[in-house]
Amino acid sequence: MLDRRPTWLTITLYVSAGLLAGLAIGPTLFLLLVALQPSGSNLVSIPTQPTLANFRQAWTDGDLTWPFVNSVIVTVVRSLLNVFLAALAAYPLARMNFRGRNVLFVVILATMMIPEQVIVVPMYRTIISMGLADSLIAVIIPFSVSAFGIFMCRQAFAQIPASLEEAARMDGCSSFGVWRHVMLPLSAPTLATLALFSMIGAWSELLWPLVVLQSKDNFTLPVAINQLLGEFATNPRMAYAGAVLALIPIIVAFIAAQKWLKPGLFAGAVKG
Amino acid sequence: MASPIRQRWFTPYAFLAPAIAVLGVFFLLAMVQVLYYSFTRYTPFSVDGPRWVGLENYRRLLLTERFWFCLGNSFLYLLVTPALMALSLWAAMVVESALRWAKGLRLVLFLPVVTPTIVAAIAWAVVLREDGGLINTMLGLVGIDRVPWLTEPPFTLISAMFVTLWKGFGFYMMVFLAGLLAVPKELKEAAAIDGASRFGVFRHVTLPALWPVLTLVFIISSISALKVFEEIYVTARGVPVEQQTAVPLIYLEAFEKGDYGMASAIGITLFLIILAFSLVNLRLSSRRDPAAT
Repeated sequence: MLDRRPTWLTITLYVSAGLLAGLAIGPTLFLLLVALQPSGSNLVSIPTQPTLANFRQAWTDGDLTWPFVNSVIVTVVRSLLNVFLAALAAYPLARMNFRGRNVLFVVILATMMIPEQVIVVPMYRTIISMGLADSLIAVIIPFSVSAFGIFMCRQAFAQIPASLEEAARMDGCSSFGVWRHVMLPLSAPTLATLALFSMIGAWSELLWPLVVLQSKDNFTLPVAINQLLGEFATNPRMAYAGAVLALIPIIVAFIAAQKWLKPGLFAGAVKG
Repeated sequence: MASPIRQRWFTPYAFLAPAIAVLGVFFLLAMVQVLYYSFTRYTPFSVDGPRWVGLENYRRLLLTERFWFCLGNSFLYLLVTPALMALSLWAAMVVESALRWAKGLRLVLFLPVVTPTIVAAIAWAVVLREDGGLINTMLGLVGIDRVPWLTEPPFTLISAMFVTLWKGFGFYMMVFLAGLLAVPKELKEAAAIDGASRFGVFRHVTLPALWPVLTLVFIISSISALKVFEEIYVTARGVPVEQQTAVPLIYLEAFEKGDYGMASAIGITLFLIILAFSLVNLRLSSRRDPAAT
């Protein structure tokens, strides 16, 4: 057993914890304070008369209603598709013998090396030629599945004992039945974590929606807030309030889902 | 591994089809297309599609000063990596040492990861504002002049790095935490019994055991530093693009100037640089874990 922690170390750890926590929430807290102040007041001051005026103005003048709805749709659909498609693809890769399995797996993994930022131009041309430009479908489809997700699911499926699968087959389950009734329930934590990651990514994404969306009614929240920054440059507090509004739902969703945030699942990322 | 169960020959392919279709069209095919476009003259108004011009885009690229500045800035941006590693390792060690509120702390430190990048960038823009921002006000108290964080390079680059650092450290903290928890307790105890100091245990047991994780975090955070867009796009708004990095330049060439060929050539150049990092990673990971496919 290591000897008990000396006092100096305990103090250092608590001070570190305080500093890190301050760093993590400080900027957001400052943003919130500034957004609560009436326009024209000093940035660095405690709001003596906090007001929701900036929030109201951001929502109405900034037309955030549709972007909000769009962001919710994009985030929910993309997370569901990410889990569904990755789990589907992972099943044969983890559990079946077939021609081309290794080749397909390597090809899938290779897409991890292709950065979205490099291929935005052809992606955009493809979306146009499909007649999907300026639609939510265009925001969803290209990122509806990821190699990372497939890899995560494959790892989880590979650990499920073969006897369970065989028992299900004996009971007359089809391949799809095994996937649905054995694979999915037994890897629920992995699937939940994947959903959480997809959710965070979809809610945050700016580059791709910025490229494919043109009309205001189709904007997602990050695009709309980016627009606020430019359009209402004289009253930046509107964008600040808008930014706070965009933050609240994802924080709430994250805290609700936080039990799926386990270091063990990051160990999987380590091998990827 | 796979159990020998009878199935129709097409079953596995049916399971794989949707994912392969999406990744095939939007990633693999797109990669081939971007390579092709980089050898063509191609604009939104090209009625007959891309026209082959050979190496013309690359020739123009090498002669454009702006490209070199942006590429240079992208490399400069790699400086965020060591800071990111140090901060996240520190956070992981604090969280691992099981203080009373370690779980709550872990959650709080992950909040920036959840924060949308544009929100993070705006929050930092407020903190760093030239007049009346938090940092400059504090610097003013100790008699340091206003720093033009958001208007003048290289400060704009540093400001964007703050955002990357802030948004990223919680994620890598979790990766390091997974690594720290995997260090066998018996090893640490044995070293302590042999008389190693706390620092000695860290230096000779923990750090070597953590080495694979360190190299991995180094590579993935370097790759994402090279790909930076949103932080720069938001914090360095108003700064001429030649003072930004490679991806904002791709965006400008493609979607503001409509020069798809040029944008693709920059994309390919960036891809090759990133590929070099990925290949080093592959090399290292096969050494890390020979059993992994």
